[in-house]
Amino acid sequence: MDEPRDELKVDADERAEAPDFDALTPLEDLVRGDRTRDDFFDAVLALDSPATATDVAELAGHGVDAAREYLDWFERMGIVTQVTESPATYERNQEYLSWRRVQKLRQEYATEELLDLLKTESKREETLEREFNVKSPDEISISRYASETDRTIEEVWERLSAWQTARRRVALLERALTTESGDGADLQSAV
Amino acid sequence: MSGGDENTSDPFHGAPIDFDRLDTIRERFAADDRFKRIADQPAFAPERLVCVYDQRFYPERVRAARLEVVWFENGDFSLHYHEEHESGEFDHRWDRHPSGHNTRDHVHPGPDAPTPGDDTSHPADWRDVLSMVLSEIEDRQRAFWEE
Repeated sequence: MDEPRDELKVDADERAEAPDFDALTPLEDLVRGDRTRDDFFDAVLALDSPATATDVAELAGHGVDAAREYLDWFERMGIVTQVTESPATYERNQEYLSWRRVQKLRQEYATEELLDLLKTESKREETLEREFNVKSPDEISISRYASETDRTIEEVWERLSAWQTARRRVALLERALTTESGDGADLQSAV
Repeated sequence: MSGGDENTSDPFHGAPIDFDRLDTIRERFAADDRFKRIADQPAFAPERLVCVYDQRFYPERVRAARLEVVWFENGDFSLHYHEEHESGEFDHRWDRHPSGHNTRDHVHPGPDAPTPGDDTSHPADWRDVLSMVLSEIEDRQRAFWEE
């Protein structure tokens, strides 16, 4: 990234009050969080295919023994699911993350608020569905749609991502508004 | 633009915003001295984090500076740094997403983040992307104070 133009830089008077950049938390630590648990949580959230304890240890930057302990704990919490036995491999449990968000929605919002949010997100979803004129964003190929409609790939990507996001929000809100949720109860007792 | 095959990697259909990753980033940034505040809208499932830098890192001619963070479940992202000056603005964007004129990884460099941008390659780990971006911003901040 470019340096600031000279006329934007401080003058001599201001320079006396320069901030102490070196006193800030190092960026490596800032983006990684300060607990071992964060490192392992980040590592399993980043999994896009089944991984062994060794893989996870490497991703987290900690030892294999610690990785086994955390994977064991995460599995009991439902954060990961074990995919194979020998060697043992694990994958991220997206269902858990959705469940956790649904629980938060129920705790933090009243039913009327959830209904309002659902109305807003449903409207966005409908608008985007009309715009693309198909039932699901999975039916759209970004590059083909862009060339057919004479729009840029970025524009289509942005609109399509907005649609995927609105759909995800609607699904979460609908679940939060469903009072009876079998899987939720099961997961809750497991934590 | 031909809708060519340069962006054949998954998925073709876009992906929802990764709310959990944004939550994690917000938690880590909220307590840091670099930022005055972290805002997200809507809070129940954020679509971007607006990370407002503390004013003490800038001379008075720079009125405000922020980094906007958007991340998707398939690993795509758009990180947008913005400064407001007494006269004018500065914008710089680090992106990973399908594009008709750049590779998936690209930057739209300052001062005005033009399209098309420059092809580049960003780190694979999202945390490395984030620390790279914050470090570039910090280099610029430090430069304000140099002769």
